[in-house]
Amino acid sequence: MEKILILNGSPRATRSNSKRYAKLFSRHCPQETDYREIRKNNHAELRAGMEHHADLLLVFPLYADALPVGLLNFLKFLETTPPDHRPVVSVLVNCGFLEPQQCEVVVRMLRLFCQRNGYPFGSVLMVGGGEAILDSPFRFLVNRKIKHFAKSIAARQYGTWQTTMPIGKRLFVLASTQYWLQYGKRFGISKRQMQTPVIEGPDSE
Amino acid sequence: MKLILSDRPLNLELPENGEIRHVDLSTLQIANCVGCFGCWTKTPGRCVIRDDAVRVYPLIAESDTVVYVSRIKYGGYDTIMKRMLERAIPIQQAFIRIHRGETHHLQRAVTPKHATIIAYGAIEQEERSIFERLVARNGYNMNFIDHRILYVAESEVEKNVKDLIETWKKS
Ligand SMILES: Cc1cc2nc3c(=O)[nH]c(=O)nc-3n(C[C@H](O)[C@H](O)[C@H](O)COP(=O)(O)O)c2cc1C
Repeated sequence: MEKILILNGSPRATRSNSKRYAKLFSRHCPQETDYREIRKNNHAELRAGMEHHADLLLVFPLYADALPVGLLNFLKFLETTPPDHRPVVSVLVNCGFLEPQQCEVVVRMLRLFCQRNGYPFGSVLMVGGGEAILDSPFRFLVNRKIKHFAKSIAARQYGTWQTTMPIGKRLFVLASTQYWLQYGKRFGISKRQMQTPVIEGPDSE
Repeated sequence: MKLILSDRPLNLELPENGEIRHVDLSTLQIANCVGCFGCWTKTPGRCVIRDDAVRVYPLIAESDTVVYVSRIKYGGYDTIMKRMLERAIPIQQAFIRIHRGETHHLQRAVTPKHATIIAYGAIEQEERSIFERLVARNGYNMNFIDHRILYVAESEVEKNVKDLIETWKKS
């Protein structure tokens, strides 16, 4: 069985949620996986790695409703200097908001990239509430979906899945407020300070 | 204030009263967002990366009209514009609200705005269709009152921006 190459396109790759999703994927995948992080200066090395894998999994966060710019730049690199062998591209995208459907646009972008550049398109998993779901009681839902998703890639029976926290929007707003308050607290920042309307305060350079 | 953000140099004659500003992003030093959320949780409203982007997002926040001039790639903004849009998240709060039926961030002092996107390099129908969804989605997060997209040939970009400025001057 051929190995699957996982590329993490999160700008904070080493400490990212995407890394945690990638780990879960590796754990549940019947096939072996190789994991790499996309950086500014390793594009050629990653492309060389793609030659030896039949499947590529892009794991990344939604950024401004689209691809994080580092991942966009990697795709542009592949377009100008393509690999000889083009793996099947699957996508595991997570977004901070509750609705996984907010990721649909970025999935279309990747389909377009694949279509233009001759890559077969594989499976998709869109995770809503992706910033916090792994530390919530709903982690099991992600686990379950990643299992289906990973199996589909290994079996070459590609499909699309989505998951999120099974709570109403209002509860999500409350829970996310608590989440961010805790985040601020770690740096000694209060709710009031986090709510400041001021952009680039008077002491900015 | 009206703000023109472009990913390329434009030769524009702007009124001296500062009512219309042009920022050519291609001449600025702007690093990629590193996703640290410092601008929400450590120094709210301020990006921890102190490069040229910190002079641009306050202008975005302040403007009631924005014009984004950008090349399109895979149905999204190409690198220069996309990098800036990512670096503009200090103008939002970490906190989430329900907005138009979905969860979105609360804004800081961000003036609601009319947006015009002058898009070049998007030829295929599918690419335009993706871009239209993207801009509509961005509108929810970027406080757009309304938006319109003008697809233009690369050679026509400057002319289109000039025409727009003329219509503003007349109105
Ligand atoms: C610059 C920036 C832009 C973001 N844009 C969006 C967005 O448009 N929609 C969304 O749901 N989440 C957005 N997020 C949130 C991330 O997608 C979310 O926090 C994700 O879990 C980060 O994953 P990572 O740790 O793998 O990078 C954004 C985060 C950053 C830093």
